[in-house]
Amino acid sequence: MQDQLLRVSGLSAGTEDKPILQDVDLTVGAGQTHVLMGPNGAGKSTLGHVVMGDPTYIVSAGSIVFDGKDITEDSADKRSLAGIFLSYQAPVEVPGVPLYSYLRTITQKRPELKMTARKFRSRVGDIADQLDMNSSFLTRELNVGFSGGEKKKIEMLQLLLLQPKLAILDETDSGLDVDALSVVSRGIEAYRQDCDGALLIITHNTRILERLSVDRTHVMVQGRMVAEGPASLIDEIDAHGFEQFEHTGGEQQ
Amino acid sequence: MMPEHTIALERVNTPPAQTWNYLRANDISLMVPSRSRKGDVYFALPRLFGGVECGMGPQVTTWIESQSTDAQYVEVPAGQIRTEPIVASMDTGVMVRAGATATIVVCQDTKDAISQESAPLTSASLVRIIAERNAHVRVFEFVTATDVNQHVESVGIVAGKDAHIEVRQFFLGTQTSAAGLVCALDGNRSRLDLTCRYLARDTDTLDINHVVRQRGRLTRSEVHESGVLDGKAKKSLRATIDLIHGSSGSEGTELETVLMLSDDVTNKTMPVILCDEDDVAGNHGASIGTVAPEQIQYLRDRGLTHEEAEQLYVRALFDEALICAPNSAARDAVLRRATEVLGATVANDLIEGLGLSSLEEG
Ligand SMILES: Nc1ncnc2c1ncn2[C@@H]1O[C@H](COP(=O)(O)OP(=O)(O)OP(=O)(O)O)[C@@H](O)[C@H]1O
Ligand SMILES: [Mg+2]
Repeated sequence: MQDQLLRVSGLSAGTEDKPILQDVDLTVGAGQTHVLMGPNGAGKSTLGHVVMGDPTYIVSAGSIVFDGKDITEDSADKRSLAGIFLSYQAPVEVPGVPLYSYLRTITQKRPELKMTARKFRSRVGDIADQLDMNSSFLTRELNVGFSGGEKKKIEMLQLLLLQPKLAILDETDSGLDVDALSVVSRGIEAYRQDCDGALLIITHNTRILERLSVDRTHVMVQGRMVAEGPASLIDEIDAHGFEQFEHTGGEQQ
Repeated sequence: MMPEHTIALERVNTPPAQTWNYLRANDISLMVPSRSRKGDVYFALPRLFGGVECGMGPQVTTWIESQSTDAQYVEVPAGQIRTEPIVASMDTGVMVRAGATATIVVCQDTKDAISQESAPLTSASLVRIIAERNAHVRVFEFVTATDVNQHVESVGIVAGKDAHIEVRQFFLGTQTSAAGLVCALDGNRSRLDLTCRYLARDTDTLDINHVVRQRGRLTRSEVHESGVLDGKAKKSLRATIDLIHGSSGSEGTELETVLMLSDDVTNKTMPVILCDEDDVAGNHGASIGTVAPEQIQYLRDRGLTHEEAEQLYVRALFDEALICAPNSAARDAVLRRATEVLGATVANDLIEGLGLSSLEEG
């Protein structure tokens, strides 16, 4: 049990007037790479936000245990400090806050990342190079006016800076051109290697998975987990789509 | 007769077009100290500067002229690229000749504050700038002091043909601050980029008047104000873009973003676009409010509490002011204020982080 980093059991959640997730189970071991797939609107992003602690969604049943601790009732900032990171499918624009001020502030909240401002700058510079980003973006407002691909890179930058124990990457690859895609998948590799972090990758695109060795694949349809299997399940979905599971999903209801 | 120690500046800092007054935001009235300068030898600015319209209006100009011990005149010769910033005093005139480049720093200086018995302790700056054709002028204004009761800052700029004016204002001080700026885009294709960032907390009063007179053809103005209000602060902003007859092909944009961290703040905004020309465009946008819930959630997801997320917007003001500060006096002034607002730990981190400016240039 020790190596179970995340354990979601019997989780049902939704907005005030709409149930979205139903009886979801998901376990991710420390350092493992899992993939979550499913058709549009299945509830994948919702699961990511619920695990992160977004109060938009109300948990009506089940529990979330992270690193041996029940966090179902914890606020998002506590979960973040505990080591969960959710990369947004659509990162939020935050006008009035330069990226530099933001990155410095979120880093300083973490005792394990304490470093001088000077060291911090060079660390950010290194990661920016690694992600093929121009460091002039540091004085620009957080996510404001950045292209979709650039926003995804800013998410990656934070992932590499914060080095969480678990990273949930919600379509980190969508909207990226071929070059950016390879930069980002190298970033993901670096995260895996540098901090042996666990990954839950939500994606429609199997290219991003080519360089990674996937431990487990999960399929969600209509708010339910309908299948789980080894990496080969991805190829099956690639070839046949979600139809087979949609059927299962229907039956379970 | 006792000498008068106080005079009233009645309804100053007014916009060109007064609107119906139910908002009571058309102007501000201030009691200011008045000291006698009898016997002083005083050098006035060249007459040309008398014709420069200033943001807080003629009453304030007359008062500051009467209180200043001397006027400072600086001329940047044609074609010269002056890198050393010109530091404005209480009454300053700068002539930037054709094709020259200059940086002007207006940093609130409380050593020169005027004190007179019962009158509020007041600091003041009057800056008039003439930018000839093709000149490039950067103006930085920093109001950061906490050791005076009020500050009065009036700026007037005239831009010739193809001149480019950039203004960055940081109003971060306490108690009462009133600041006005007029930029006359007289020359064809002249342009203004004005960014104003402010913080008002507790019972601070901040009164801002921005006026752009677009006279030349094909002129451009971009005016962006944004700031944070907290506590029981009161802020009034009047922003006017005046597209004057003959300014064909000109375009002016004004945009304000206000973030209110408390329910007790008073925020008044009067944007006005005056238009006496067909072939022009005036745009105005505003977003006023508390931090959007999805923004807060994004910040919380990255480890900040609700309160820390809000404070990040305040820290950001200081980071930006520091990045912009062109000389050590301005930098020190901003840091002193940052220490009061954010605490020593964060302020020290800002100092260390100053290397950022080289990053920005690189
Ligand atoms: N805040 C919300 N308010 C109302 N409905 C919501 C909210 N968030 C999600 N939903 C709904 O819940 C369902 C699941 O959405 P979700 O974004 O989780 O799907 P997804 O699997 O991530 O889809 P995609 O592959 O298109 O990103 C959708 O029907 C969506 O409209
Ligand atoms: Mg999604």
